[in-house]
Amino acid sequence: MAENSPDLGGKIGYVVLGATKAEDGTRSVSYRLGGESDLPFIGMKTSLGSIPLVAFEICDDPSYWSPIVTSYTGDLVSDTPEWATAAEQQYGADLVRLYLTSTKRRGFDDFPSITKVTEEVLSGTGLPLVVEGSNEPAIDSEIFQRCGEAGQGERLLLGTAEAGRYRSVAAAAMAYNHSVVAQSPIDINLAKQLNILLREIGVKADHIMIDPYTGSLGYGFEYSYSVMERIRYAALKGDTDLAMPMIASAMDSLSVKEVREADPVIRDDIAVAWEFYAALSSAVAGASIVCVRHPKTVPLLKLAFRELWAGKKPGEF
Amino acid sequence: MALKALDIYKLLPKKNCKECGDPTCLTFAMKLASGKGDIDKCPYLDLNAKNILGASTRPPIQLVKIGVGERRFAVGEEFVVFRHEKTFYHPPGIMFQVSDLWPAEKIESVTRRVGSEHFVRVGTDLTFSGVAITNESGDPDVFSKAVGVVEATGTHIPEVLMAADPVVQEEGLKKCGNFRPLIYSATKDTYKPMCALAKKFGSPLVVSAKDLESLGEMTKLCNAEGITDLLLDLSFPSLRDYVPAATEIRQKSISRSAPELGYPIFLDTTRYEMQDTALVLGIDKYAGVIVTPALGPASSVATLTLRQNIYTDPQKPIQMNPGIYPVGNPGKESPVLLTVNFSLTYFTVQGYLESSRVPCYMFIVDTEGLSVLTAVAAGKLNETLVRDSIKKFDLENLVSHRRIIIPGYASPLSGKIEEETGWKVLVGPRDAAEIGDYLLKEWKI
Amino acid sequence: MPSITFLPSYRKITVEPGSTILDAIQRAQIQMNVVCGGQGKCGKCIVYIKNGSVEFDREKFGKFFTADELGQGACLACQAFVRDDLHVMIPDSSLIQQQKILMESLGIETPFQPSVWKYYVELSPPTLEDPSPDLTRLVWGIQKQGGPLAEKMYAPLDVLRGMPRVLRDSGWRVTATLALVPGGYRIIDIEKGDTRKELYGVAIDLGTTTVVAYIRSLVDGHVVGIASNYNRQISCGEDILSRVNFARKNGLPKLQGLAAESINLAITTAANGAGIDREDIYEVVVAGNTIMTHILLGIDPAYMIEEPYVPVVRRYLTTAAPRLGIEVAKDASVFLFPAVSDFIGGDIIADILASGMGERDEISLLVDIGTNFEVVLGNRDWMFSCAGAAGPALEGGEVLFGMRANPGAIERITIDPVTLEPQYQTINSIKPMGICGSGLIDLLADLLRACVVDRTGRINTEIIHPRIRQGVHFPEYVIAWKQESGNNKDIVITENDIKNLIMSKASVLAACITLMKQAGITRNELSTIYFSGAFGNYIHKENAIMIGLIPEVPIEQIRNIGNGAVEGANMALINRKKRKTLDEIAKNIAYIELNAESSFMDEYTGSSFLPHTDLSLFPGVQKMLDECRLKKIPPGVP
Repeated sequence: MAENSPDLGGKIGYVVLGATKAEDGTRSVSYRLGGESDLPFIGMKTSLGSIPLVAFEICDDPSYWSPIVTSYTGDLVSDTPEWATAAEQQYGADLVRLYLTSTKRRGFDDFPSITKVTEEVLSGTGLPLVVEGSNEPAIDSEIFQRCGEAGQGERLLLGTAEAGRYRSVAAAAMAYNHSVVAQSPIDINLAKQLNILLREIGVKADHIMIDPYTGSLGYGFEYSYSVMERIRYAALKGDTDLAMPMIASAMDSLSVKEVREADPVIRDDIAVAWEFYAALSSAVAGASIVCVRHPKTVPLLKLAFRELWAGKKPGEF
Repeated sequence: MALKALDIYKLLPKKNCKECGDPTCLTFAMKLASGKGDIDKCPYLDLNAKNILGASTRPPIQLVKIGVGERRFAVGEEFVVFRHEKTFYHPPGIMFQVSDLWPAEKIESVTRRVGSEHFVRVGTDLTFSGVAITNESGDPDVFSKAVGVVEATGTHIPEVLMAADPVVQEEGLKKCGNFRPLIYSATKDTYKPMCALAKKFGSPLVVSAKDLESLGEMTKLCNAEGITDLLLDLSFPSLRDYVPAATEIRQKSISRSAPELGYPIFLDTTRYEMQDTALVLGIDKYAGVIVTPALGPASSVATLTLRQNIYTDPQKPIQMNPGIYPVGNPGKESPVLLTVNFSLTYFTVQGYLESSRVPCYMFIVDTEGLSVLTAVAAGKLNETLVRDSIKKFDLENLVSHRRIIIPGYASPLSGKIEEETGWKVLVGPRDAAEIGDYLLKEWKI
Repeated sequence: MPSITFLPSYRKITVEPGSTILDAIQRAQIQMNVVCGGQGKCGKCIVYIKNGSVEFDREKFGKFFTADELGQGACLACQAFVRDDLHVMIPDSSLIQQQKILMESLGIETPFQPSVWKYYVELSPPTLEDPSPDLTRLVWGIQKQGGPLAEKMYAPLDVLRGMPRVLRDSGWRVTATLALVPGGYRIIDIEKGDTRKELYGVAIDLGTTTVVAYIRSLVDGHVVGIASNYNRQISCGEDILSRVNFARKNGLPKLQGLAAESINLAITTAANGAGIDREDIYEVVVAGNTIMTHILLGIDPAYMIEEPYVPVVRRYLTTAAPRLGIEVAKDASVFLFPAVSDFIGGDIIADILASGMGERDEISLLVDIGTNFEVVLGNRDWMFSCAGAAGPALEGGEVLFGMRANPGAIERITIDPVTLEPQYQTINSIKPMGICGSGLIDLLADLLRACVVDRTGRINTEIIHPRIRQGVHFPEYVIAWKQESGNNKDIVITENDIKNLIMSKASVLAACITLMKQAGITRNELSTIYFSGAFGNYIHKENAIMIGLIPEVPIEQIRNIGNGAVEGANMALINRKKRKTLDEIAKNIAYIELNAESSFMDEYTGSSFLPHTDLSLFPGVQKMLDECRLKKIPPGVP
């Protein structure tokens, strides 16, 4: 079988998420992502490459979350750290991604709560953590400062930097040695530009993960799929400004018409199928981390990855 | 074609005679370079040039037709490794599997599903492609009977006859051989009789072997028997091997370095426990025919949607039908928001409007699927279109006010739209995410 | 009949015995020096008889030659009478030398080969013995004077009508003006006396906003007067599209009239300035874009602005000046440059002519920037072209303090990378009122060098400096404080202005890259980049590359051709051979529709970065930026 695709000379850079005790962190596991020197699946036997990781997404204010998840999960969603524990121990996720949805409340100013919830989630789970800031640029600086500080030493992944809005998250990442999610609107040029901007203010290439913005299945997913394939290919052809691991989260999956309007009897199944097909395809396109919100999707993805990437342990060093 | 326009131009007669339909040899060369031209249109090409240029007229992957009548489909004739390089042309046929050991009703019910189940997405009808009958009984009569049930239930639904034994295969073919079923499959030991059957019934044939090299040898053997409508069976014992094998076949076909592998791919997902996984891999990566157990409702719609997505032409954006789309329960005083018919835009804006809980009308105009920015830059979103659309969709009778909210990126058009339509234009935010806030703050009766 | 063979061309002609060699030469249409008109007086028409013999009075005319020359068979063509077959060698020195005219702004020479001439003749009046008609008399007289063959000349009706009077009133001493037309020569004027010096032509650039006229003497090819004024069609629409819409509403005659009016105004002003009479202008050459040309011709441009964007005509056209309402000599012709497509018009063909890129093997890139831009890539064998909307930012539109290049506009500016203080220069050196295109380019380049903006053009609001602040809607940089400005306002550039500027420049760069990719050409294979368009004149080349307006090439390979349209029109005016090549040039240009080019949007996004997303396309700029950033003290420290 194909050991190597023709004409590729580049390699995806590494990003390390999570710090264990050995590195003065409190995570139970640490992942090194990246290192691939060929297309996904190809040359796995010869090239280094990590098994895709599954991140489970939670939030600190479930009133802004999908009713499908909240009704499936129950009261657990009101207890953020417990929810994080469940993600690790019940659902089997590899990472937890925490969205600070409480900041969406009009006139939000309870900044101490941000520090609190970050710390609590870090206690609730030993998994490496991704923290998503707010929707409001005006409070970015404060929010990232607090999460960054609360997660100091844990090698968090902080989200999300965009072309017009990257200085605060970059500053926090650089100050506390975290990595940054760099998001662009499904465009390879814009993805590259953002990476260059980040690099120019001092964020190191091995602290950037590319988020090409993942549309949900049936609502633009294929654009994201192709952008990921393009990014991966360009990186392998030697473009170092695109040679970062990718993170994919089709976060609108649970609010699409097919899911929302499904017969309640099969609604969870459709929700899971919607997430699964997009997440697996994203991994086929080259994503290193895929993110989902429905608990049932996690074990399905993990099973698939384990089978397809046999012999690899998540992000082994 | 790897040749650049100028290289091709150097091979042309440069007479600018226009007999090919192009104004100059240079534009003809450009067409050829982008794969659009027909080299035979130039009457003055010398043999040498024809050889160099014509080398790539035969498609790198054989086009194989399966089935007859309305539901027939074709696979193969692909030209790129990645869909973003141009597009994928022929979506895989997805066949529901039935076993000849099943009772007739069960076979019928699956066949009926394939015949009648359909989902409409973005204006297209999505259906499953056919039925695959497996010979578990080992008995030619049982097999033949099962094929007969399928035939009786689903008139001319494409079929795959999955029997390793040529004798059994022949019995099945006697029932449906006129309808171009796919024969599964020929191995090193059975290729001669299988090819004879394929020839007799004019059917395409799957070849199975243990690895790509052997598959290549098999296609050569079958070619020698006169059979060229072939598919390569990539249902290897381990699903792990699928993507590397399929990728290698695609790469080598496109580069023409292994023409013996230039055929569509067959994948039988019933062998694997992880059906959905196998389906996703097959759809994402180059499968031409995929056999799967009859899928549940969730997997059905997800599978068909994924197939639709991957096989959409990346250069043609998905479009909504232009018109007026209510959000919530709008009335005569509700706001009207203008936007483009690019479905991604529509859906994004609609989502935000729904969460804003402000009842309103989305007024979608035909920008041929272009996004706001592109449509404005290309002049497709313009005041004439807005004026004509207002008339066409009778907007004036829908609301009592005369105010229209336009996307932020369309702000350069605001004056012209006002002039042309007589409506007052309010410029909304550039970022759809802010539309909720905007409506709450800015929309007053 | 004796046959004469001319050397070195081996051209052969038969003549009546008893004709002069000069007759034979003129019959063969060889351009010979005939200063005295064949009277044996000037000694210029020297030829050498190489074979055969002639009747030539050596005694009388030998004074013009050395003994050597006589020994070699030298004689005067006008005084040598033919008896038998001959081989005659014509030395170069006897031929009319192609005069070369220097095109000042282009720095190149163009051979002077006009297509109108004046001949002064003194005719013997008709008598009973010599009763040839007036016209015959005239044309023979012209031929004798070294003009074309008599049978190739004709006179239009109105000239015929005036002929008998002017011939007799002038005592048979007249100046005839001849224009070269397909198939022969047209006598377009007959004037009393010797008016040979009063022979002029005018080259017109019919721009959307301005009309420029250059009057040249067609005796020696030099410029005598220049004038420019606004195109009066502006009153019916600021931009082309609105004018076409105006035309649709029965406005075409008015627009046509305004076009002619604007041209006439420019001609009159230039003529007055030069002290010449408009009626002595015998030729008009007009270069304008396709729509402007259609309107001037009174042809409906309506179908040009809707898909599939088809002009009515794109060939090189000639018509009589009065038909267009252009007021010059009554029978003067107007030549209009051909076009390639809707969007690549006569003005671009004129640019190409002016740059000379169609005559060389080396590959050139031509960029004409206005509100719209046009790009041409190629050489003598092939050319690609495309056009697009640059947006008004490069001309000062959509920029808060943007303005055209008028007095008070900042046209040059530098910013100190450490102090962030600007130094600028305004047009006419008065107090600044705003900033024009060239100034905007300088500004953006320096803001980038100083790290005030990042590569997407966003202002770093974390820098603590009085000039960097949040404006009403957007972050901004203050160029000039209220106290020093001419309009009592702080002159600023906002992040939004920069975004518009980047969008404009991205269109241009993306178009260049798209063409280059179509042709498979890299920037290293470009021998020259030409800038045309009014604002090309003042662009600081390094800054244009720094911001990625054009692909990166060594500075010495960037040339400014100024107003290429008028330069090209001038060249076509004084050189008819170049005029003939125009249709060929136009036909061979492949037009690429950017909207239909799937890769264009991709290139556009890639180009919306300073200078470009792919840093390897701008290695020089990258090196410079790296150095600047290394040198830079952290922002905010004064």
